[in-house]
Amino acid sequence: MDDGSIVELYHRREEQAIIESNNKYGKLCRSIALRLLGVRENAEECVNDTWHAAWNRMPPERPQSLGAFLGRITRNLSISRWRQEHARKRYNGIEVLLSELEDCVPAPGTVEEIVERRQLAQTISTWLDGLAAEDRRLFIRRYWYCDSVKELAEEQRKGANALSQRLLRLRKSLRTFLESEGVEL
Amino acid sequence: MNANDIFHGITDIRDDLIDGAEKIPGNRKRWLPKRWLGVVAAALAVVILGGIFLRPGGESTAYAIAQAEYPEMAPYPFLESDEYDEAAFDAWNDSVMNQRRNLGDTSSLQSFFARSAQTFLTGTEGENRVYSPLNVYMALSMLAQLTDGESQNQILTLLGSDSMDALRKQASDVWNANYWNDGSVTSILASSLWLNQDLKFNQDTMDTLAQNFYASSYQGKMGTESINKAFQDWLDEQTGGLLKEQAQDIKLDSSTVLALASTVYFQARWYSQFSEENTSPQIFHSQNGDLETEFMHDWGSADHYFWGDRFTALHQPFDNSGAMWFILPEDGMTPEELLTDPETVEFLFAKDKYSEWKNWMWLFVNKAIPKFDVCSQLDLREGLENLGITDVFDPVRSDFTPMTGNREEIALTKVDHAARVVIDEEGCTATAFTAMALAAGGPEDKEVDFVLDRPFLFCITGKSGLPLFLGVVNNPVGN
Repeated sequence: MDDGSIVELYHRREEQAIIESNNKYGKLCRSIALRLLGVRENAEECVNDTWHAAWNRMPPERPQSLGAFLGRITRNLSISRWRQEHARKRYNGIEVLLSELEDCVPAPGTVEEIVERRQLAQTISTWLDGLAAEDRRLFIRRYWYCDSVKELAEEQRKGANALSQRLLRLRKSLRTFLESEGVEL
Repeated sequence: MNANDIFHGITDIRDDLIDGAEKIPGNRKRWLPKRWLGVVAAALAVVILGGIFLRPGGESTAYAIAQAEYPEMAPYPFLESDEYDEAAFDAWNDSVMNQRRNLGDTSSLQSFFARSAQTFLTGTEGENRVYSPLNVYMALSMLAQLTDGESQNQILTLLGSDSMDALRKQASDVWNANYWNDGSVTSILASSLWLNQDLKFNQDTMDTLAQNFYASSYQGKMGTESINKAFQDWLDEQTGGLLKEQAQDIKLDSSTVLALASTVYFQARWYSQFSEENTSPQIFHSQNGDLETEFMHDWGSADHYFWGDRFTALHQPFDNSGAMWFILPEDGMTPEELLTDPETVEFLFAKDKYSEWKNWMWLFVNKAIPKFDVCSQLDLREGLENLGITDVFDPVRSDFTPMTGNREEIALTKVDHAARVVIDEEGCTATAFTAMALAAGGPEDKEVDFVLDRPFLFCITGKSGLPLFLGVVNNPVGN
């Protein structure tokens, strides 16, 4: 089913929307969550929460790219879940409390934080625009889709070491770019 | 700002960037180790002005009257090195940032590229043709700086500039955005002026050319062996010896008032490698009959695959730089006919094809690319006149006062352009593909064959995305 039809199902409040989302993007979202969390059960919960969040956001939203929209939700849920798990494992009472109290504030934070985050995303997008197509793809596959270096090396037919160095250079290049654009690091 | 913020920043990058990096479904192919290939290309444009006012002189050697200074780039920290040298990378990264230029709206440039390509790449009659749009752009920009009145207006109109100030700024930005000399990629647009020793020149104009167009100026006695040698040595050096034969044909005789030379030299390695073991003979169907030539093959590598109504295209990226684009006309159509197709022209000159062109997919592509060494020499005069540049060819109507300070009877007598692009396992590269038949909406499979075994177009874009070289390959074996 095409993205527009799935979005339409959400807007008509038909639960088939979740089944179709899972059919088309379940693998992508599971892959992102599993790579970020490393625990299958937690990843599965994040994916289920993704459909729930998508159900709450559509309507009113009508994403142009459903894959990017759902993948982004999974990334956000996964990082929140990781923070909670991280705090719990360290038995740090304050951190656990703060982590739980995050539920009381709308994610990801204040209006100012949201604006800053959007500006940062725009700046990173501009930096990505200026990269060679292969470097752009490499960076996004590694840091958005969370592909392993080994997988990328196989796909690009390069050594994992060489690719790791290229990624390191890209990270350094991003840092220089952010500094040149006045982002406080 | 911490790593979490960067993580969230990456999470929220634009949708089209995320979609553009989608994975290709299907099985991965086993890959074989391959060695680097490279591309070497060079072009030169020489504008020669003649006049009648010169007095005989005694000097016999050329001396510099204004010297251009090129930016220094730190050496590229090669990936092959086992140890990561952070300081070396930082130095290299800083020099990359220094060359960064925002070219803004380049639609006027693209219009010039399209018109000039249609003018200079047609009429090939089955021969190969190579043309460097950026090379001619730089030469014309300098010519505009040397002229005034209607002579200058005609050039500004062709280049789409409102004023000389705007053109100076644009040319300087274009030069810097394309300059690359770090040991991994060489991309240099070089220029020089050669003045007759008896010419009373305007030093301010020469200094402006050095500062804004990175052009050095020399003066000497025209028609002497020494100035011809100095001139040809300069051309040889700037084109890496690739156009030695063509440069030898260009002489500065005693009637020459000024010669303006502009060159492009480009050398880069492929981002992905070909295997020499996979190169084998194959038939190329030229307009003049079938030819057997060596084809490089690569099976099942992931590539960006583009298409339009009348063409299919593939790009072969360079390591750390731009890309070489191969555009194959639909069956029965020649490359020259394709250059008159508005959709193809739009594609060819789109600065960022990934964001400006919707018809592309990331696919597994089985490539067959002929090795070639194509070269051509053009007299641009007639083409430039057709494009509206007429006054500078007329000694009565031309206005070169910014150069000489006085209204003299000077005119362009010769505008030569030569270019060569070489593709093989050792250093120069070009590829040919014969496209598969496509469904109306694009490829249905995730794996396609792309075999360049009939005449095609190519375009080499540098770091800026602008076309350094354009060419028609009618015969990969040679002219």
